[in-house]
Amino acid sequence: MRTSHRVMAVAFLTTAMVAGASACGSGFNDTPEQKSGPADLEILIGSSGQAETDAVQKAAAAWAEATGNTATVVPAQDLAQQLGQAFAGSNPPDVFYVDAGRFADYAKAGALLPYGKDIPDADDFYASLRDAFTFDGELYCIPKDFSTIAMQINTDLWAQAGLTDDDVPTTWDELRSAAEKLKAANITPIVIGDTRDRIGAFMVQAGGWIVSKDGTEATGDSPENLQALQYMQGLIKDGLAVYPRDIDTGWGGEAFGKQLAAITFEGNWIKGALQNDFPDVKYEVHEMPAGPKGKGTLSFTVCWGISAKTQYREQAIDFVRHMTSAEQQIKFTEAFGVMPSRASLRDEYLKQFPNDEAFIAGAAYAQGPVKAPKMDSVLSDFDAGLQQLASTDPKALLERLQDNTEAALAG
Amino acid sequence: MVLTSEAPPRRPVSDAAPPRRRRRRSGLQRPERVAGWLFVAPVVVLLTVFLLVPILMALWVSFTSWNGQGSPFRAGVPVSGGENYARLFIEDGLTRQDFMTSIRNNLYYVLTVVPLQTVLALALALAVNQRLLRAKSFFRTAFYFPSITSSVAISVVFLFLFANSGAINGVLAWFGIDGPNWFSDPRGVLHIILNAIGLVDITNPPALLTDNELLGLPWWQWLSGPSVAMCSIICLVVWTTSGTFMLMFLAALQNIPVQLEEASLIDGASRWQYVRKVVLPMLKPTMFLVITLGLIGTWQVFDQVYVMSKGNPAKTTLTPAYLSFRTAFLDLNFGSGAAIAFVLFAIIIGMTLLQRWVMRDRDEVRRPRWFRRVRSV
Amino acid sequence: MALDNTTADVLGAGAMVQAPAPQRRPRRLTPRQRAAKAANYAVLTFFGIIFLYPFVIQISNTFKTESDAANHPLRLIPDPFTSDSFLRIFSGTDFPLWVVNSVLVTVIATVSRVFLDSLAGYALARLRFGGRRAIFAAIIAVMAVPGVVLLIPKFLVLNQLGMYDSYSGLIIPLLADAAGVFIMKQFFESIPAGLEEAARIDGAGPFRTYWSVILPLARPALITLTILSFQGTWNEFPHTLVAVQSPGLFTLPRGLADLVGGSLGSGMQYPLKLGAALLTLIPVTIIFFIFQKRFVRGATEGAIKE
Repeated sequence: MRTSHRVMAVAFLTTAMVAGASACGSGFNDTPEQKSGPADLEILIGSSGQAETDAVQKAAAAWAEATGNTATVVPAQDLAQQLGQAFAGSNPPDVFYVDAGRFADYAKAGALLPYGKDIPDADDFYASLRDAFTFDGELYCIPKDFSTIAMQINTDLWAQAGLTDDDVPTTWDELRSAAEKLKAANITPIVIGDTRDRIGAFMVQAGGWIVSKDGTEATGDSPENLQALQYMQGLIKDGLAVYPRDIDTGWGGEAFGKQLAAITFEGNWIKGALQNDFPDVKYEVHEMPAGPKGKGTLSFTVCWGISAKTQYREQAIDFVRHMTSAEQQIKFTEAFGVMPSRASLRDEYLKQFPNDEAFIAGAAYAQGPVKAPKMDSVLSDFDAGLQQLASTDPKALLERLQDNTEAALAG
Repeated sequence: MVLTSEAPPRRPVSDAAPPRRRRRRSGLQRPERVAGWLFVAPVVVLLTVFLLVPILMALWVSFTSWNGQGSPFRAGVPVSGGENYARLFIEDGLTRQDFMTSIRNNLYYVLTVVPLQTVLALALALAVNQRLLRAKSFFRTAFYFPSITSSVAISVVFLFLFANSGAINGVLAWFGIDGPNWFSDPRGVLHIILNAIGLVDITNPPALLTDNELLGLPWWQWLSGPSVAMCSIICLVVWTTSGTFMLMFLAALQNIPVQLEEASLIDGASRWQYVRKVVLPMLKPTMFLVITLGLIGTWQVFDQVYVMSKGNPAKTTLTPAYLSFRTAFLDLNFGSGAAIAFVLFAIIIGMTLLQRWVMRDRDEVRRPRWFRRVRSV
Repeated sequence: MALDNTTADVLGAGAMVQAPAPQRRPRRLTPRQRAAKAANYAVLTFFGIIFLYPFVIQISNTFKTESDAANHPLRLIPDPFTSDSFLRIFSGTDFPLWVVNSVLVTVIATVSRVFLDSLAGYALARLRFGGRRAIFAAIIAVMAVPGVVLLIPKFLVLNQLGMYDSYSGLIIPLLADAAGVFIMKQFFESIPAGLEEAARIDGAGPFRTYWSVILPLARPALITLTILSFQGTWNEFPHTLVAVQSPGLFTLPRGLADLVGGSLGSGMQYPLKLGAALLTLIPVTIIFFIFQKRFVRGATEGAIKE
């Protein structure tokens, strides 16, 4: 290029830069002004299926009519991704589901409005669930429901192996011996998901976990965790436990439904799945076997998050209060089978669903998801390692988890 | 040149114009100048705003640790300097490991796809270019058709084909082979081969390789080869892109005069010798073009990863393009995501420069029209 | 065997020849040649099957029930034959909305690209104005920028301009592309200059000249540009990923991607997904078969961007 053109190109570039930079960086409001008048709430949910979408839309419509506002419920295809993009954009939805595993990231980024103090009966919700949504000492949002992992046993296959009710395992050793008997009868004993969201239950039963109770210290590399992973690795190597993909299925529920295995460890959601896709399977639900340090399981919960940028703060809080009211929670439970997050509803829930005793019992000793920001890649890396647990050294795996967790918690 | 059927003039007309002068004549030239600027203005504005400015903005963001809330240009956004880049290359940690894993995956992908698609495209072009081949147009269409389809739609089809009990495994079953669980098998192909010939034990790899690292990734991981899951994506891409490159080879083959073939037959050469000694050397420029285009294209694989596997299983289908996207939009770490995008940019620019250098002026066989066009790019 | 003089001579001489010689029938084929020809056909047929069979599988499985597709993917004849999947595509998903959005985006973007790219290409080829070379160099440079690198940057710009998650954010960035300008410029350079001289003498301004004199001559190139733009924008996916997030703004590729959702080969709704993919493929396929020659030309002569 000749000099003159080069000069022109540079001038062009500079102009573009200046234009670009000046177009940005202007007018970003940190505290959005509240709009008065009827609210137009945008609600983004991560639905578990049509049943949930319908139920939530119905409840939202009822609220809208009663209060004279409008509420639009949109089911997300990929909630995490859509929320990520929405937060970076200038117009995120007003109300949305927040998964406990991602809560810390959003809270730390300042995307959530801490409205816990505006809920008068917040104490009615299970303490462990509230804890999952408390950041920096503040309760940010109210849990909408929860699930725990329990043990499902296929009664037909159980009887086929000559096992009875007495053989239902309540400890790790009993689990192993029951599995061995199943294997002897040519039945795949256990199918368990290849992720921390299932195997982690065993870590809890051994008394360990990925982070400390307050979520500030990394405890991945503990002897308790090692014990749990070694136990699980032993089961896999001896052919007593398989991963869903090893038997051509996508998750434990599918394998269990296709009767490819006698035992699986899944949460409440398996009820709906089995009912819809595999109605002929006869099964029982029991609490997970206790480990060296006692009973343990994992809980999963989602809360109603309100955007820090919403212009309808009061109405949004009112909406959430309506959706988490006792009557509404029972309606949701009936519609799509989750457990209500209000402790006071426990008895009523059990009256309607006596088979879920095992699930709800888990609430007492369940470990919630890791509540620390920037842990997502660490945890998915841990999952990648667990996927190859059969051929990996558990100690190395946990050391790596420890290192990564420390780095994430520090930065 | 996309034209009517007459041969276009040899040199572009503007080259034949008189040399430019610094002084401009007024009068006749003025409306032309104004018109010129007006005509290009919309395109220039659009390309500047949506291609140039974004790059500059992203460059800025890659030097910050912006968390995705609000504008990255307001005051108070934490500037972290070269920290994001350091985390990718120098600092020991998960970021570097993930990044190196994605580089490794893409590297094997490139090293597998480029040779495969080049060879396949060449073979198909040679086969289609036979004189007196009937249905030549049909075959050419058949091979080229996958190239024009939507990558997302094709990914859906291949998800079905490579399912555990899908068509591919069904075909393999005819030959008595038990097909793997394509999308959930994270084992590297090299590992499998080495295991099969007994050189290493895949469940107990040699400590020498697992304990020593290069840039944060153990040597054992560097030597894994593409994973089984990645192989299904490789099949998809080779299937899709070979057609385009076949057309380029065909165009080059068409420019080889028939007299050459007849002359070599007169000399007594067999068909294969003709191909090897006459055709292939004449195709060298095209081959370089195809290879370098392949190099540029394969470093950008994203759609298929997003639709089919999202990096799984065990991060063996993670590529830098997808990692950049995921880091920004899922982990809300836009600084790191932008940094990864720029490193990828640098890699691809490197490949582009390589292409231009390779395709520079050569005093060889007269180059066909289309090739000269590309060279002037 | 070394090349004999005959061949080498012809190599040198033949290098000057531009057009291929007319075809001639050989007088007789030796058995070896016949075998080679048969082998050739065999190879072509084999690969022809490989390249086309996935579509055959796709079509046949679209008309199967879910369990039939999952259990017998290779069987060509559905048993039972059902068009259930199409019913569910249109009633159970947002497919009609995706089609509307895709059509909207594609039509607007294609028309715009044809117009703006040809305008700019003409100006760069024929009009003398300062900075012409710089702009063309910039366009070439821009063509080298890979699309995936622009994912995050484009999002940032759309966000800043307030265009994120709107139709304008979806469509405006697609209104012009560098490759199209390149193609049009190359084409216009080949048109003889005399026509413009004549028009100028007649008193026509630059735009008039362009519109009434040059553009009608550019029909072949414009058609090619139309086809390439149509195909490019109809199939565009990464841009839709960062430009919008509301389901109401999804185009077909985006909707399809979300339908499939990164599932790792598990999941049952194959006929539904295959059917949706099939419908997505149809428009470009039709255009392809009508305008085959132009696609081929476009692929080999300058439209390098995939």
